[in-house]
Amino acid sequence: MARFGMVVDLKRCVGCNACTLACKAENGTPPGIFFTKVLEQLAGQYPIVKKKFIPVLCNHCLNAPCVRVCPSGATRKRDDGMVLVDYDQCIGCKACAVACPYKNRELLPQGKLRQGHFKGHLTPFEKVKYSKFQEGVVIKCTFCCDRVDQGLEPSCVNTCPAEARVFGDLHNPESKVSRLIRQRGGFQPMSEANTDPSVYYLE
Amino acid sequence: MTQAAFSPADKDRWIKSACKMCLHGCGIRVNVRDGVILKIEGDPDNPNNMGKLCPKGHSGIMRHYDPNRIKTPIRRTNPNRGPGVDPGWEPVSWDEALDIVGRRLKKIRREDPRKLLVAINDFQRIHLWGWGAAFGTGHYFTTTGQFCGAAYHPINGIIDGAFASVNDYEHCNYWIQIGGGDGFSSHLHVAGSIKRMADARVDRGMKLVAVDPRMAAYCAKADEWIPILPGTDRAFILGMVHVMLHELNRYDAQFIKKHTNGPYLIAPGGRLFRCRETQKPMVWDGGDNMAKAYDDPTVGDFALEGRFVVDGAEVTPAFQLIKDALKDHTPERMSGICDVPAGTMRRIALEFVEAARIGSTVMIEGKQYPYRPAAINFYRGAIGHCQGTHDHSAIKLMNMLVGNIDVPGGHLGVGLDHRLLLIEPGPDGMIKPQPHILHPPAPFSCPPQTLQMMEFFPIGLDPAHLVAHNILHPEEWGYDFKPEAALIYHANPLKNINGYHKVLEVFRMLEFIVAIDILPNESTEWADIILPDHSYLESYMMTLCEPPVITGHTLRQPVVEPMYDTRDAHDILTDISHGCGCLDEFNGLLNFTMFLKPEYYLEPGRKHTAQECLDRMAKSIYGPEMGLDWFRQNSNAVRRQKPGEMYMPWDGMRISLYHEYFLQVAGELEEKFRSAGRQWDTSSYHPIPVWNDDHPLHRIPAEYDLYAINFKAEAVINHHENTTIPWINELVSNIPIHKGVLINTRTAREKGISTGDRISIESPFGKVEGLARVIEEIHPRVIGISNAIARWTMHPVERKMNVNFNRLLPASLEFTDLVSGHQETAVKVRISKI
Repeated sequence: MARFGMVVDLKRCVGCNACTLACKAENGTPPGIFFTKVLEQLAGQYPIVKKKFIPVLCNHCLNAPCVRVCPSGATRKRDDGMVLVDYDQCIGCKACAVACPYKNRELLPQGKLRQGHFKGHLTPFEKVKYSKFQEGVVIKCTFCCDRVDQGLEPSCVNTCPAEARVFGDLHNPESKVSRLIRQRGGFQPMSEANTDPSVYYLE
Repeated sequence: MTQAAFSPADKDRWIKSACKMCLHGCGIRVNVRDGVILKIEGDPDNPNNMGKLCPKGHSGIMRHYDPNRIKTPIRRTNPNRGPGVDPGWEPVSWDEALDIVGRRLKKIRREDPRKLLVAINDFQRIHLWGWGAAFGTGHYFTTTGQFCGAAYHPINGIIDGAFASVNDYEHCNYWIQIGGGDGFSSHLHVAGSIKRMADARVDRGMKLVAVDPRMAAYCAKADEWIPILPGTDRAFILGMVHVMLHELNRYDAQFIKKHTNGPYLIAPGGRLFRCRETQKPMVWDGGDNMAKAYDDPTVGDFALEGRFVVDGAEVTPAFQLIKDALKDHTPERMSGICDVPAGTMRRIALEFVEAARIGSTVMIEGKQYPYRPAAINFYRGAIGHCQGTHDHSAIKLMNMLVGNIDVPGGHLGVGLDHRLLLIEPGPDGMIKPQPHILHPPAPFSCPPQTLQMMEFFPIGLDPAHLVAHNILHPEEWGYDFKPEAALIYHANPLKNINGYHKVLEVFRMLEFIVAIDILPNESTEWADIILPDHSYLESYMMTLCEPPVITGHTLRQPVVEPMYDTRDAHDILTDISHGCGCLDEFNGLLNFTMFLKPEYYLEPGRKHTAQECLDRMAKSIYGPEMGLDWFRQNSNAVRRQKPGEMYMPWDGMRISLYHEYFLQVAGELEEKFRSAGRQWDTSSYHPIPVWNDDHPLHRIPAEYDLYAINFKAEAVINHHENTTIPWINELVSNIPIHKGVLINTRTAREKGISTGDRISIESPFGKVEGLARVIEEIHPRVIGISNAIARWTMHPVERKMNVNFNRLLPASLEFTDLVSGHQETAVKVRISKI
């Protein structure tokens, strides 16, 4: 069975945020909510300064704390490794959001879907996209499971101008993600959390 | 010709088109389901962006669906205008709106067409920019060139018939980037360029050296960031040129001898030394030890150095003069100007010449080319200054010295459109200078006819920042008319022209303003009538602007029916032209600007639709089989440029190392001013780029102790206009550098300023307030202001942080590059906590 994962090449990433908005468009996330974003990390003092762009998203961990703590069984792991939330079962208790060491989940508050990006006016785009959400549940990156199920790459991977994001099967040693992890020493974020993320970074 | 038909049966479709979220126009595919636009992606079949798309491109959905779009022609009911004053818009029919505009403009045209100001900035439709010329007015009342490209485009055109330039992504191994976002955040088709740059950096291990006062994205990704003071990049470059010429003695002598005017003998006074009989420029043959015509086949060795006496005249090869002029430009002296250590200049100069592999060649598709995989790339940050021509020339000089112009690995010219580099033989064995790729020069006239004084800038680009001053002080240059109306089409002069208070005064003077746009902005909130344009997802365009690596148009086409009672801006201008009596002139202009062949010329007296014009344009460029229908089927005619188009297309002609052309232009200009009884400073027309200590920016009194720069907000924002898109707004609200005025930690500490403090920023020319954002990654003597915090439009999404950088800038001849018309885009300021 495949285990889907992503490799993010921090050398290639230029922090352009094309992924952030490709995700926003694909998933139609409500105001203020991004399923992926690019963090900026700064070290050093002028003039010796290092700035890193670090794209983050749900890590779809193999050993996912969010799955473990979910009292209603709404957060589940698919056989292919994608961690997804069943909105119908989610009770909005936020236990998962607290348990996630990466803070990559958040509650969709009441009223958010009515408000829309233009404050009180829902665009035709938002009307379509918001019909897939429910208020009062926890939402997060889905690895674009609908796209992946159709054989497409996640939206952020599809658009990335730098080709910094690569998606594929971590179980297949010949896949591009496996090869990159092997050849470039890919590492998982916060390995001390013992969650076995499906997202790897290359430096 | 078939109309775009949207049958209800097409419930879920992907339609190919072209992006218009910046000027360059990447190929896109748009998902429309049940008539709703759900996604925009890069078109994987377009060799330009190869399926990639930047954040602006994705956010086009939310501009299209912005409920604040202008839905029908509107007119103001509130007679009072001003920043933040509600115009009290009321809808009006197209017939009535066009009638009002037509009658008003007709009257002006009859009285004196120069009384109309024109601001057209729809950057992809360059063919409409000249509408004012059809009307009879030459004023250009919006920033185009003078902020970014005035000292850029004409100089590129003079060197190699190019409009822009960028290093060779596919072969360069050592890339110095100064004040530009190529390959990271902006300029020249950013999505494809980011990929090409990432491939070069990561797959090929290309070394990147970044020079900028602020750690922009490209600096963060570079192997080395060299912070520098604004407006001193030329000093940094010339310090390195000094090292190459006077310390290392390393440069590509063969290239200079064969492909430039470096060996041409220069007479005292700086002009070419010509053969008395033939008038041909002379060179010195080091083999036969005598002067010969530059094209004498017996010349064995073109001498670059030495001093000679020919026919009693003391003459010197141009190269020797350049070397002499830079003898005192030691790294130590230049370091005191630009604040880059002399040792760094020496090291980078050495790395650069070594990486250039002078003398090496490469075979590409069966042809041998010089191979020079080291080059300097740059943009507005480096040359957007009041001596920008010199800044640009200095960078070109350093490139040319290693022989990297238009060769694999080097610094490549980029054309404006499908014409690629405009290569024509000029006089004296040289390539013909092409400073006028955007529009023909304005013939000299004193008093000038245009308020931006184009008549005084024979090789420059419209310095629109001079317009307001000349309106308010007509007596200075003898203007005998007073503008009373403006036409503003996808432009925002109040926001984008510096010298805000002067522009504001002009806006207060204007009796009538008509605007064409999809959303109101700071300027069009003053309009009497706004005529609503289609969004780019509802309209047609043949798109191709400044393409690196590739060439060929991509069709922009409607992906949905227009949402509102809008019309294509091209058709609106046709209607206005008809109404005010300049339709024939407009059609004539389009014949020229749309590259129409005679068989496709527009007919006098007839209103041609935008689609019809584009069809004729496509057929004129690509042949009768490739009209709009072909493009509807095939989306684009984009292909890679051939090696012969990209590399040395001027082979056999020489390019300008020593800009004798400047002296020629200056001489002609001086003569014209003499005849007119006026004076004009032509000292900037200098054939050799040197550092000039008398630099207006650096002469600003020391009490203004910091430099201030603004920046383009990386890949997220085009100019400033995307800040009304909620997705972009949310995004920049989360990025530290767009949260306030950037100040270095050390400087902030000295001044007792912390992040979040309200500060005042004052230049000799204006004052703004903003929130401080204390960071490490900026030069301690520089503050930075993002374009994401510069607006005050009434649009409800805009954050209205209103740290309008332009208010700090000068807008006067003193701070204008008198060759190119470029304005000074940096300034000195003092800041304090409020």
